[in-house]
Amino acid sequence: MTTTTQQATQETVAASARNLTKTYGQGDAQVHALRGIDLDLPRGRFTAIMGPSGSGKSTLMHCLAGLDGPSDGTVTVAGTALGSLEDDALTIFRREHIGFVFQSFNLLPMLTAGENIVLPLELGGRRIDDAARERARMLADILGVADRLGHRPAELSGGQQQRVAIARALITEPDLLFADEPTGNLDSTTSAEVLDHLRRSARELGQTVVMVTHERDAAAYTDYVVTMQDGRIV
Amino acid sequence: MRTVFLASLRTHIRRYVAAAVAVAVAVAFVLVVGVLTSGAHSGLMDGLGAPYRNADHVVSAAGWPSSELDPKAAIAFTERHGENAAATGRATLPARANGRRISETTVGPIATSEEWRWQELSSGRFPARTGEAVVDVYFALAENFAVGDRVRIGEGAAARDVQVVGLVESPSPPAQASMYVTWPQLLQWRDHLHLNAVAVRGEVGQLPEGTKAQSPEGFAAERLTYVQNRVNTLSVMLLLFVGIALFVSVLVISNTFSILFAQRLRDFALLRCIGATRRQVVRSVRREAAVVGVLASLAGTLVGVGLGYGLIALIDALTPTALMGAAELPTLWLLGGFAVGLVVTMVASWLPTRRVVRVSPLAALRADAAVDVHTATGLVRPALAAILLVTGLALLGVAMVQDSTALMVAGGGSVFAGVLLFGPVLVPRLIGITGALLGPAGRLATKNAVRDPRRTATTTASLLVGVTLTTAVLTGMATWRSSLDEQIGRDHPIDVALTSPKEPVTTDLLNRVRHTPGVEQAIPVDGAVARVAGLDKPIPVVTAPAAAHVARDGGAFARVEPGKIRIDSEAFGKNLSLRPGDRVTVRVGDRRAQLQVAVGTGWGPAGVVAPETLATLTDAPEPHAIWIRASSGADPARLGSDLDELADPVGATIENGLRTWESLDQQLGIYTWSALGLLGIAVVIALIGIANTLGLSVLERVREHAMLRALGLTRRQLRRMLATEAVLLSLVATLLGTMIGVGFAWVGYETIVKQALSDATMHVPWLSLGVVVLIASLAGLLAAVLPARRAARVTPAAGLSLD
Ligand SMILES: Nc1ncnc2c1ncn2[C@@H]1O[C@H](COP(=O)(O)OP(=O)(O)O)[C@@H](O)[C@H]1O
Ligand SMILES: [Mg+2]
Repeated sequence: MTTTTQQATQETVAASARNLTKTYGQGDAQVHALRGIDLDLPRGRFTAIMGPSGSGKSTLMHCLAGLDGPSDGTVTVAGTALGSLEDDALTIFRREHIGFVFQSFNLLPMLTAGENIVLPLELGGRRIDDAARERARMLADILGVADRLGHRPAELSGGQQQRVAIARALITEPDLLFADEPTGNLDSTTSAEVLDHLRRSARELGQTVVMVTHERDAAAYTDYVVTMQDGRIV
Repeated sequence: MRTVFLASLRTHIRRYVAAAVAVAVAVAFVLVVGVLTSGAHSGLMDGLGAPYRNADHVVSAAGWPSSELDPKAAIAFTERHGENAAATGRATLPARANGRRISETTVGPIATSEEWRWQELSSGRFPARTGEAVVDVYFALAENFAVGDRVRIGEGAAARDVQVVGLVESPSPPAQASMYVTWPQLLQWRDHLHLNAVAVRGEVGQLPEGTKAQSPEGFAAERLTYVQNRVNTLSVMLLLFVGIALFVSVLVISNTFSILFAQRLRDFALLRCIGATRRQVVRSVRREAAVVGVLASLAGTLVGVGLGYGLIALIDALTPTALMGAAELPTLWLLGGFAVGLVVTMVASWLPTRRVVRVSPLAALRADAAVDVHTATGLVRPALAAILLVTGLALLGVAMVQDSTALMVAGGGSVFAGVLLFGPVLVPRLIGITGALLGPAGRLATKNAVRDPRRTATTTASLLVGVTLTTAVLTGMATWRSSLDEQIGRDHPIDVALTSPKEPVTTDLLNRVRHTPGVEQAIPVDGAVARVAGLDKPIPVVTAPAAAHVARDGGAFARVEPGKIRIDSEAFGKNLSLRPGDRVTVRVGDRRAQLQVAVGTGWGPAGVVAPETLATLTDAPEPHAIWIRASSGADPARLGSDLDELADPVGATIENGLRTWESLDQQLGIYTWSALGLLGIAVVIALIGIANTLGLSVLERVREHAMLRALGLTRRQLRRMLATEAVLLSLVATLLGTMIGVGFAWVGYETIVKQALSDATMHVPWLSLGVVVLIASLAGLLAAVLPARRAARVTPAAGLSLD
């Protein structure tokens, strides 16, 4: 029985957190960024984590993505408990299973857009073969940056930079794509474009996407909304 | 602005540490030179004056150093004053002890009265009468003397036996000798005696012809200026290296300021936005530079003085003969060193601070202005670089044709300046090429290394200076060395020659020679004893077809045409009356031949002839000499005395050419290692610079690294990426420096060496140069250790939340 339940959950849940707690500092300066979070992220859907500034959204994302260790509780992504992994194993896990889009400084300034997109493959020591290049071109096409691949980040607009970042996040076909305030630095038209691309990634490519945002308009693009307040889900 | 200045000082001072260390090292270098110079001066003064400390007058040659005291007159003068005078000087005499001959023995006087005695007893007692002697401790050490040994000094009728009753130290170099005997004993060799000066108490009375009387202080000062010039020349040489180190520090610190100011450009812009004038911003930044300069110079001064005194103590402890005195605190050097440090810092910060002025308030409003600091390379620089390169190369060409050292230095400087200016264009290309060899693994590192061409160029430039000079020194020395080898090979073709002018050498002797440690090969040389007209003693006339087996010139000296006889012009001393081209009669028994004289040096008192010539003189040649090739690393003095012990009983003599090789080895070794050691300081500063650039870049890339880590770059990969970056920087600097250095050495060879030694050939020590490249790359790796560790410690989450 338990096996079937687990299989069922694995089919529908991309990542889950149990009693996730994160505390920064000590004594008077102690900050409870997360206070016992229980969460299941549905597979193939676009989920928003909402909440006011300082409510713990980024911290939650960092813990879910294995960028930071929780003070207590467990995180399971694609059937793997992250708490059991050493730094190197965790890094390699991230490389293979998780993609990221950040608010800003997403791209390495000395690499071209095209080089930035295939960077995750290169970090894994994979040869950039024709198949990889084909996939990069396809993603760039979908995201509308195919004609900018030879440009450096400094020569791209903010919206273009974010779309290149999305292409890079998708190149490894990750189990989970995290986006932390991906539209924080963009005007409303460009934001709409980027959000549309994220939604299409979920709808058309079956990609699990988790976006952290404090903007209500952005949350409107998503399938589920998780709201946070003071380190708790409300 | 005051609060801003103090706050930014608090926040940023730690980032100046590496640059400050670079300045401090250079300043400390200045101070060490200063303290050592001062110590050497006072040491010389103390030592020099010791024999005259109780004198009222010192009598010496009026025309010194071009004329000397007349020994006869000086001896008479000293005798006349009896107890009230003591002479300093020495006689060079042959000596034997423990059954073997001792090389170059100098014998000086030692007073029996305490007030005239300046030698310091280290064991035994002072000589009290004729027949007793004391030996200088270092000479005793070198020649294996102990108290109680008997020494025979002098030759023939003048030979005297003395007993060693003590060992002494002799602090005054001009009066130093290897042994000391009482004045009456020394007068037994009065024909060999040279006197420097006579110390007199009371009235001087009638002075001998051509002499003058001075106060002891005046005399010491006079002699000191002579030695002092050498000390001062040495100081100037050292200051040259100090200059190089300072130049490298300027590069390092100017790079630091450039990087730090670029990182803070937004802060400056913000200050301008809210109403700070340009002047205010610049003044605040300059004051920051001044604080760094003052602190670094202060630290450098203290460390330098400490090191200097430490070194003096160390030198005193290791080699008490080195005559290092208690150095006075050299005030001028202190002030000078401090000022140099401060000026260097201010000069180095001048250009970067000027760039700060140009920041527009708008820069603060641009989102990511501070992230990609990409300085453009304008057109002026390459143009200027091209002019300098072309001019420099032209000057070098002219220098080679005209053998002009001045033009060579000017041309070299110009070329080097051109290369440095060309750096931002050249160095990134070279790094790109070198990085491409690493494959995709090194891609990120390569891109990082060339991100800011000017920063890259300045960072490598500092190492380039040191490596170029190191290479030039190594290559120059190797070339010099190989040409000297050739020349000495000609002057001393045989390492050790054993010549027996009467009896033929026996097979037994030959075997014993062959079994002596340090002998690689020994050949018997056949000949016959002959009377050569013009030589007062019979000599062996020999022929040596096998000389090539042992000779350092390939046996060329022993290939003599029939009808000629080649004589070692040095083996017969100054009295040799034969000149090249003279025709002489050579007689063996009742056979005779008319031969033409040719000369050479280095095989001892034997005449070399062609086999045909020898055949006309004798039907039964017998071995009259043994020519020996020493194994490499053999101790010349020991080999010489070992062979002497074999040669002496059979009436043979020894000609030891190996000593020349040894002293040449030592001298060139000392020059090379000192130059390398001194350049090493500049190289160390440059490596601090590389570590510094990398450290500051790491701070600037925290976010980037966090992102890479998020994307799946492991800690180890991150560390390796940074290490690769550092190695690329140092490797390219080293390779470029090696190329330029070899080029400079070639020019130097064409200009200087070829002129001095006509048939010298260029010799590039590839092995040593390879070692330099290897060491520099490893050092680059070392420079990356701290920055890489710091970068890898940051967790991705922490790096990402930074903004
Ligand atoms: N490295 C840290 N050290 C101390 N406190 C932190 C750190 N990171 C985040 N916090 C605190 O944790 C709380 C949650 O932060 P965060 O997750 O960034 O909020 P959000 O992303 O929702 O704005 C905040 O109060 C923040 O100040
Ligand atoms: Mg946040």
